Amino acid sequence: MSWYHWTLLSAFFVFLICSGWQLFQIIRRRTRDYSPPRGKRVNALIYAFTTAMLPLNKESASHHLPSYVAGIIFHLGTFVGFFWLIIHFFSIPVMKETRSASIMLLIVASIFGLILFVKRLFNVNLRAISQPDDYFSNLLVTAFQIVSAAALCYPWLIRWLFLCAALVFLYMPISKLQHALYFFSTRIFLSQFFGKRGVWQFRR
Amino acid sequence: MIIKTNSTSNINLALERLKQRLDGQLLSYLYSCVRCGLCGESCHYYLATRDPRCLPANQVAQIARIYRRYFTWVGRLLPGWVGAHDLDEPAIAEMVDVVFGGCTLCGRCTVHCSVGLDIPLLVRTARSLLVELKKISPGLQSSVDAAMRTGNNMAIPREDLVDTLLWLAQDLQMEVADEAATIPLDKEGAAMLYTINPREAKFFPLSISAIAKIFYAAELDWTISTRTYDVTNYAYFSGDDEAARKLVQRLYDETLALGAQTLVMAECGHGFRAMRWEGPNWLKRPYPFEVKSIIEILADLVRDGRIALDPSVNSEPVTLHDPCNLVRCGGIIEEHRFVIRQAVSQFIEMTPNRANNYCCGGGGGQLAMGEYRLRRIEAGRIKAEQIRATNAKIVVTPCHNCIDQIMELNQQYQLGVKVKTFAEIVADALVLKATKHHRPIDRQQ
Repeated sequence: MSWYHWTLLSAFFVFLICSGWQLFQIIRRRTRDYSPPRGKRVNALIYAFTTAMLPLNKESASHHLPSYVAGIIFHLGTFVGFFWLIIHFFSIPVMKETRSASIMLLIVASIFGLILFVKRLFNVNLRAISQPDDYFSNLLVTAFQIVSAAALCYPWLIRWLFLCAALVFLYMPISKLQHALYFFSTRIFLSQFFGKRGVWQFRR
Repeated sequence: MIIKTNSTSNINLALERLKQRLDGQLLSYLYSCVRCGLCGESCHYYLATRDPRCLPANQVAQIARIYRRYFTWVGRLLPGWVGAHDLDEPAIAEMVDVVFGGCTLCGRCTVHCSVGLDIPLLVRTARSLLVELKKISPGLQSSVDAAMRTGNNMAIPREDLVDTLLWLAQDLQMEVADEAATIPLDKEGAAMLYTINPREAKFFPLSISAIAKIFYAAELDWTISTRTYDVTNYAYFSGDDEAARKLVQRLYDETLALGAQTLVMAECGHGFRAMRWEGPNWLKRPYPFEVKSIIEILADLVRDGRIALDPSVNSEPVTLHDPCNLVRCGGIIEEHRFVIRQAVSQFIEMTPNRANNYCCGGGGGQLAMGEYRLRRIEAGRIKAEQIRATNAKIVVTPCHNCIDQIMELNQQYQLGVKVKTFAEIVADALVLKATKHHRPIDRQQ
C-alpha cells in the first residue's frame, strides 16, 4: 500500500473511533419510556424510513421539490463517491458502463451541490441560520464528488481522491457532516415517538 | 471558561440542567439539524410572519449553540465556526423571545422536518434552562405557581368548586327530570376519576354539565375529586420538570387514594399528554391504572351503544379542530371523528387535518403569556383561514386552550362561528332514555 492508502486508512480509523464513541453515547444514554404503548413501534419504524420520507407525506419536500430533488441527487452522488473509493482502494475491476454512469451522476450531483451552496449564500432565511461550517461542509463534499468523477477519468488523480476522502472522514465527526450518522438514530427516535403513540402507522 | 454575565450561579444551574437532560435522544437531535431551512412552511408562526427568527431551525439553534459551546471541544475552540454561543445576556434574551414568544410546542415541524428532529423537545429543553435562569414569562409562571400552591391553576377555593358542582348537579336533576342524577364527589371505589379544567368550573360550567349528563345517560360509575382535579399541567409548557412531576404525582396519588381504575382526562390537549405520555417518565414508573382522554371514553360509549345520539339536533355545518397535544402528539386521531359523525348532520374536515393540522396558536402556554398576544393572534391567522375555508358555522375542539384561542380568532378575524367543546356538541345530541334507577322529580315541589 502507498502512503495515500495509509493516509486514507488512518483517517477512516479516526472516523470509526469517533463515530463509534458517538453511537455508544447515544446507546448508553438511552432512557426507558414507562408510558404504555398505543401503537406499534415497528410499523412506525418502517414508515419513518419509507413513505414518511416521500414528498406526499412531507411538506419540506413537497413545498420545495427542486431543493428536495437537488438534495437527493447530491446525497446519491456522495454514496457513489464512497462506492468508488472502496473500488479504488481494493482495486476491484468494474464494468466500463458503470464507470461512465457514475461519472455522469457525480457531475450532476456536484452541480447540485454547488447550487445548494449558492442557495445558502443568497437565500436570506438560509443565510440567517447558517454557520461557516455549513458552507465548508457543502464545499468539502462537493469537492469530494468532483475529484471522484475526475479520478474515474484520470486514474493518476486517485491519490487526490484518497486525500480528499481522508479530509471528509476527519471532518465528519466534528461538523455538520455528523448528520450522516445521526440521521439514522434521529429517524429511529422519531419513529419510537410517533409509533408508540399510534400516530405513525405504516400503510401499504 | 469566562461567563459574561452577572448571574453566574444561575448560568451554571442552567448548564447543569442541560447536562442532566442529555439523553441519547436529545444528543441525536442536537447533532442532526442540517439547517436546510425547509421546515419554515410547516410552522404557523413562520407562515404568518415570514420572519427567519420564526424558523423551527432557529428554535433548534437556541439550544444547540449553547450545547456546542459548553459540551463540544470544537465549540469551545472555534465557537464562530460551528455557531456555538455563550449563555450570556443577549443569548438568553433571544432564547426567551424565540422559545416562548415564537413556539407553541405543537410539533408540526417535527412531522415535516427533512431529518425528523423532535423540535418541541429541544424547545422545551431550552425552556427548562430558562426555568433555572428565572426567565419564565410571569403569566405562565403564575399559572404554575397557583397550581402548585392551591392545587389548581386558577386558585379556585375548594368550597367554591363544591358549590359549583352541587349547583350543576341540581341543574342536571332538573334537566333529566331524575332526582337520582348526580355529580358524585370524592366517591371512593368509583371506576373512573374524572378531572376537570379549572377554567370550566369558573367560566364554562356547562361543559361539566354536559359530561355529567352523558355519564348519567350511560350509567357510568364515576367521581370528581374536590381535592385534586386539575387536568392542566402548565409546568409542562414552562419546561419545569420538577413542578410538572409534582402535579402528575398529585393526580396519581388521588387516583390511588380513591381506588379508581381509570383516570379520565377532561378536554385538554397538553393535560392529556402530560399525564398519559410524559407523566410515567417523570415519575419513573408505570401507573397501576389507565389514563384515558374523555374523547376515548365517549367513543367507547357510542361504539358500545351505551349512549344514543341524534345528529339532527346539530343541523348546522360543523368543523373540527385537532388539538396538537391530543392528536399529533397524543395519538387520539379518529375517536373524535367517529363520535362527531354520529352527533352532527354536516361534518366538514379542515384541510390539512389530523397529524398535519395547524396549531391554533393557543398552545405552548401562549394564552398565559400576555406579552406575546399580538404575535399569537398573528400566528393564529393560519388557523382562522383554515376555519373560514370550511364554511362551517360551528367549530368543535376538545381542548380549552384551543377553545379560548379560537374564540379570540373568531372575534379578531370575524369568522362568524360558534365555538363549542366536544362534550357540549355530544350532550346536545344525546337521546335520554328512562333508566332502571329513574326517579322522576315532582316539578311542583
